[in-house]
Amino acid sequence: MPSLFGIAWKNIRRKRLRSILTIIGIALSTWVLVSLLGFNQGYESSLNKDIDNLGFQVLLTAKGCPYEAATLMLKGGTGLKYMPESIVDTVKANPEVEEVTPMLMHAVFDPNKGEEGGITAFLGIDPVTYPRMKTYLQFQQGKWFNQPQALEAVFGYEAAELEQREVGDSYLLPEADVEIKVVGVLKRSGTQDDGTIFLPIRTLQKVYKVNGQVTSVGIKVNKSTDIAKYEEELYKLPDVQVVSMAQVKQTISNLVATARVMVMSIALIAILIAMVGVMNTVLMSVLERWQEIGIMKSMGAMTSHIFKLIWFETILLTFVGGVVGSVMSWILATATDKLIRSVLPYSPTSALVQIDIILALKAIGIIMFIGIISGIYPAWKAARIRPIEAIRSTEGEL
Amino acid sequence: MKRIGILILLLVIYTTGIYAATGCDLNEPDRDVKRLFPGSTGFKTSYVSIQQKGGKALQTKIEQRLGDKFTGMYETMDVPYTVYEIYKDKQGIGYIHGVNQKGQYGGIQVFLALDPKGVIKTLYYQKMTNQSAKAFRSDTFTNQFKGLSMKDFAAYSPVTGKQDGALAKIKNPAPKAVQDFRATLRGIKKNLILMQEFGYTK
Amino acid sequence: MSQPTAPLISIKDLHKTYVRGSEHIHAVDGITLDIQEKEYIAFVGPSGSGKTTLLHLLGCLDNPTSGELKVAERTVYSEKAAMNERDLTKLRRELYGYVFQKFYLIPTLTVEENILLPFAFYCKPDAHKNAQHLADLLGISHRLNHLPKELSGGEMQRVAIARALINKPQILLADEPTGNLDSKRSAEISDIFSKLNQEEGLTIILVTHNPAMAKSAGRMVELRDGKLV
Repeated sequence: MPSLFGIAWKNIRRKRLRSILTIIGIALSTWVLVSLLGFNQGYESSLNKDIDNLGFQVLLTAKGCPYEAATLMLKGGTGLKYMPESIVDTVKANPEVEEVTPMLMHAVFDPNKGEEGGITAFLGIDPVTYPRMKTYLQFQQGKWFNQPQALEAVFGYEAAELEQREVGDSYLLPEADVEIKVVGVLKRSGTQDDGTIFLPIRTLQKVYKVNGQVTSVGIKVNKSTDIAKYEEELYKLPDVQVVSMAQVKQTISNLVATARVMVMSIALIAILIAMVGVMNTVLMSVLERWQEIGIMKSMGAMTSHIFKLIWFETILLTFVGGVVGSVMSWILATATDKLIRSVLPYSPTSALVQIDIILALKAIGIIMFIGIISGIYPAWKAARIRPIEAIRSTEGEL
Repeated sequence: MKRIGILILLLVIYTTGIYAATGCDLNEPDRDVKRLFPGSTGFKTSYVSIQQKGGKALQTKIEQRLGDKFTGMYETMDVPYTVYEIYKDKQGIGYIHGVNQKGQYGGIQVFLALDPKGVIKTLYYQKMTNQSAKAFRSDTFTNQFKGLSMKDFAAYSPVTGKQDGALAKIKNPAPKAVQDFRATLRGIKKNLILMQEFGYTK
Repeated sequence: MSQPTAPLISIKDLHKTYVRGSEHIHAVDGITLDIQEKEYIAFVGPSGSGKTTLLHLLGCLDNPTSGELKVAERTVYSEKAAMNERDLTKLRRELYGYVFQKFYLIPTLTVEENILLPFAFYCKPDAHKNAQHLADLLGISHRLNHLPKELSGGEMQRVAIARALINKPQILLADEPTGNLDSKRSAEISDIFSKLNQEEGLTIILVTHNPAMAKSAGRMVELRDGKLV
């Protein structure tokens, strides 16, 4: 027994080339759609991952203490305020905290810098926790110091260049006149780390006699933690200020929102192209089968049957195209990633395009919905065919 | 977008030390020029590198004249050198040019104020890390280089450190820092060669 | 079911007028006619005489401009009322089978599927059995799995007839069924029609230019300029 669906399927196969071209068109649109949706999803999580790589989401400093080197320089190296090192344990006691790293910023006046002397700043870090939090830092030469009291330093690339230091060279800590060894030079990271000289925090405390003091604490909390709420919590500690990530998150979400608008407008264009393509194909097919449809109506087909018949064709075309396109986008994900990366001025490090089965199903759903919408007009047109018009148009007799 | 990306990173990362980028610039050009060339009315800043002026061949030539190979991670062809051309009204009255020279405990920035013919007016260490830095930076030491020019350094070999002619009179102000004394001489020689090879002085 | 006494189809003063530009064409111009059950009637006449239009009106494929049309005692069209599209479709399903000069087979479907096509739209029991019976009757049972393009013209028209009869209609409407066939095939189709009328008791309404076929009809009606002659 012939079914409407079977008739529709066979009709798609009748004009094989045209159907294939239409399916390719839909598949391409789906590919664009899936890739863009994948980008939308991947870009955000990738950016978040980058943020994660920065190590700590919250920075705790003593109240009034400059937390940016630039501020410190403007103040001529003064204004540093200290917190007792015991604060590390206090912070760590909170189960929401994953890791804590103490830091000591120290500025030294160097009379042999410039005409009237200048400031050199050092960052004392914990050789155990700090490298774990800042995994994105890579070495041009050497490695991190591993002894907490070692007379060793790691230079950011630009700091190393200015001091012309390489691994194995000596460096003289100004003011204290203590000689230390360079054990590592970092690769350029495009961040302020490039200009930083890192020392073990114990060494820095000892050399410049700031024992038991830190200037800031980097805090990494569990993923599930509500950072805003946690920051509130931190303010209960005496005389601290919390450098919030909220603003950074805001910047990122703005960035993502902009990208999303851009991405969605391209997706919309892809959808429109697919829509016009489907409508054209199905409409052509209706016009060609004008008489056939008229005959079907004379044989007892209701308006709704014809409507369904044409609609099935549209849905079939879009479904096949959607599936092909999804598979294609999955196979081509890496290439798409490269393509987008080459266009974007700033891209996060991990996968930009993240495609999963849910996303593919979503895209197929969208494409089929589009098929359903664009099938309405041809189907409606076909359903309105009156049997007599179809027959008369060829019988040529009154 | 890249800027935003960096901005994010800047916001997040806790760092110290802001250093000038790669080359060797005066920290405060306006003030420094006035001091090194009293009576100057203006200056023009240009950036030149060996790479852009002649590449590998030029580097080889410079190394031959210097009597030493370029060494280390930072002494490369693409280092941008900053040359300040000094004017009094519309007349060129000299140049200021600095090079980064590797010292024992840190970078040494060897700046020379030259007259248009390439004769040293002033030697200025913008930066030096060394227990005896004060002795090197003293006028007593730096004034000895006044009036010297390329021809006085032509025979100097940074490898042997043997001083001839006019250079023979110049004594190391800090016997313990012999390495930085030699670095100074190498830095000055390299500075003078570059100025000639870049076509500023004869 | 219609009562034996009443005519199966009855038309009174039926008009169909087309407007073509400023010209009014009276394709059917006041025809009154009764067709009895099991009758075999042939309409003949020159081209443009209105016989095909009349056939379409009798077959409820077209709406008259005025007059009255009753089929199986149901009013299809009168001055007061006209059947809606839905009821017309039902009426066509129930009572009619159609055969046209061009066979209008669906090229992508096999012979069997073409014959069973109406049941894509509604169900009737014993459809397959009936299909087999009709295929045997029309001598196309060996062609059931073929596509229309593999058939001869005569075979295609037999398939179209089988499709027209699959719903066991009371009335078969045929518009120039032999128009695209040579004389031998035409004669075969003509025989089939006679057989269907006599053996199956089918009411047949035929439009034809073929004199031999017209003669085989029980009643021949001639039209000229939209009127009965």
